[in-house]
Amino acid sequence: MAKEVKTQNMELAKSLRQVDQEEYYVPGHRTCQGCGPALVYKLVSKAAGQDSIFLGPTGCMYVANTSYLCAPFAYNWMHTQITNGGAVASGIEAAYQVMIRKGKYKGPLPNIVVMAGDGGAIDIGLQAASAMMYRGHDVLFVMYDNESYANTGIQVSPATPYGANTTFTPPGKEVPEGRVLFPKDAPQLFIGGHPALHYVATASVAYPVDLINKCRKGLNYKGPAFVHLHAPCPKGWLFDARKTIEIAKLAIQTGMWVNYEWENGEYTYQHTPKEYKPVKEYMKDQYRFNHLTDAHYAKMQAFIDARLKAPGKPIAIPVQGPREQA
Amino acid sequence: MAKEVFYSGCAAAAYGAKDARVEVISSYPIRPYTGIMMELSKLVANGELDAEFVLGEGEHAQVSIAYGASSAGARAYTGSSGVGVVYAMECYSPAAGGRLPCQMAIADRALDPPGDFGSEHTDVMSARDQGWIMGWAESPQEVYDNTIMFYKIGEDRRVLLPQFCCQDGYFVSHIPGKMQLEDQKAVDEFLPPFNSPHPLNPEKPINHGPQIYADQGSAIDVQRAMAFEGLPAVIEEVVADYNKQFGRSYSPFVDEYMMDDAEIAFFLQGGHARTARFAVNNLRKQGVKAGVARLRFVRPWPTDAVAESLSKVKAVGTIETSTSYGGATRGGNLVHELMASLYNVPNKPLVTSFMAGLGGEIVTLDMFYDMAKVLSGAVKNQKVNHSYWVNFEPEVPFRPE
Repeated sequence: MAKEVKTQNMELAKSLRQVDQEEYYVPGHRTCQGCGPALVYKLVSKAAGQDSIFLGPTGCMYVANTSYLCAPFAYNWMHTQITNGGAVASGIEAAYQVMIRKGKYKGPLPNIVVMAGDGGAIDIGLQAASAMMYRGHDVLFVMYDNESYANTGIQVSPATPYGANTTFTPPGKEVPEGRVLFPKDAPQLFIGGHPALHYVATASVAYPVDLINKCRKGLNYKGPAFVHLHAPCPKGWLFDARKTIEIAKLAIQTGMWVNYEWENGEYTYQHTPKEYKPVKEYMKDQYRFNHLTDAHYAKMQAFIDARLKAPGKPIAIPVQGPREQA
Repeated sequence: MAKEVFYSGCAAAAYGAKDARVEVISSYPIRPYTGIMMELSKLVANGELDAEFVLGEGEHAQVSIAYGASSAGARAYTGSSGVGVVYAMECYSPAAGGRLPCQMAIADRALDPPGDFGSEHTDVMSARDQGWIMGWAESPQEVYDNTIMFYKIGEDRRVLLPQFCCQDGYFVSHIPGKMQLEDQKAVDEFLPPFNSPHPLNPEKPINHGPQIYADQGSAIDVQRAMAFEGLPAVIEEVVADYNKQFGRSYSPFVDEYMMDDAEIAFFLQGGHARTARFAVNNLRKQGVKAGVARLRFVRPWPTDAVAESLSKVKAVGTIETSTSYGGATRGGNLVHELMASLYNVPNKPLVTSFMAGLGGEIVTLDMFYDMAKVLSGAVKNQKVNHSYWVNFEPEVPFRPE
């Protein structure tokens, strides 16, 4: 039996000690060693608690978590297509609104959480995610970002960084850097363009309390929220599985990832280092960048330097699109 | 109180949904089904129907919203036409496999190209193997009645399947007819609130749709197949109850007209059946023993009822109104299953397929007379082609007015 339903007014934690010790994302899945997204799942599950309905669009966290008809979720969970996490969540939320209104369901609105990968959030799933936020459904949309379609064998996604070697962007004589494009800015796709959306945040597995609190803040809003979570993938990024947290921290120290909140139009930044390290510090231990030359690193550095002037905001990026080059 | 009204098929569907007390509605505009949602949005805005009206961002989302709502335990309603129906294709199997009995109204429409608003059954016939119940109405009254009956059938614990509640675009969706709206209390009695056996509810958490090992595939699919096995009995039960409660006279599966002594028969679904019956009246005056067998359900395909009805005649032609390019007969879709239904019957009739009514073309009386000629010739010569494109072949030539 579920414990007392606690939604909408969840307390923020000051330290991990204040976080529920009970696990709602339980053992039995077959994610890889050092899996960032699995850690995300564990933390978001702790943030939302057992009285939740999680939607799992197709991706690693569907395929690796739910094998042989088993699933590691101690709360309501439903698979959705990779395309429609936002839409299925909208339907569930609308159903609860009307059922609560009619007295068919007694109790507060459950926490409804979409756990989408980068593809399910800002590529094939973007339309459903945007429409859900636009319509103002009371749903937390989580994008666990492992920067590729990892489950299908590490193919490039719009979240894949420039220069990454993926199985659709292999480096070669004609395309020495492999991945040519710079990534989409996920939070910016939603910030500002959705009048009912008041809370957008980024967080990292390197800072679990911050991650949990941002999810809770998103859930506490009576309306949609979007949380973008950095989830390093040892298998896809090709680094030692012991170094997931180290890599996540390096991303923040080099400016490759920035933790911030956008709340009712105001930006606040967290975990900003006094001085950023060169991006190469972050990239050199990941074999997906192993083929890059100093010129490529310089290009990445220029992109990050520009983005760091105003993270999460629309600014000019000194990057030429593929049609502008040549 | 029951009330006599003059409604189009679209309005009939909307009022059927209202009287079924749908709780979540997901919309997206496309002609000709749009009228259903226009009507429902008014009913919600006026407070006549307490439902969440969710503005879908496309048909794919519409169906996703509907089955999502159903998974939470609400009665959900959506609809579409033409290219919209096929745009949502990915979402049909998850709804059926999740055993989520939402309903989708279809006012059918031709697919592109070329751009065409007309009625054609190809859109939703393309989705006939996704595990949904599917059936056509021929009049606004039948649209209203089916809307209520289909929920009752789909939500039955022995079934738990989503439903395509279909009507011909324009011919039915846009032509008003005299019909009866039933008393809300009587409808409530017939159709109690949806009580899902497996809602996503914090009181009793469930996990819905995990991955399986390949060996588990058949074991899962056989359950959906078994639901279809049991469906005909449930449909018979529900249709009989509805007939009794509301004074209708629907056959569950095959609506027969002058079939008792017929030698040739037209086999079809939807609104063209009305023209067919008119043609049969005239053919009978000329001594041609023709009849009409109108199909009410494509899924489940009523094999026995079809075989029983059509094994009585010497030749039968389907009027297809859907395409199956490169199929076994080069005709449409109905003929394949008609042939399969008759294959093991001792005195099976000659069977052919008439390609007509595509893109919203009106299947005229003259076309029916030509088809009757082909069927009578078949009886005489004991020979018939697999299919005929009406208006384009010597046997069924183009005949300008």
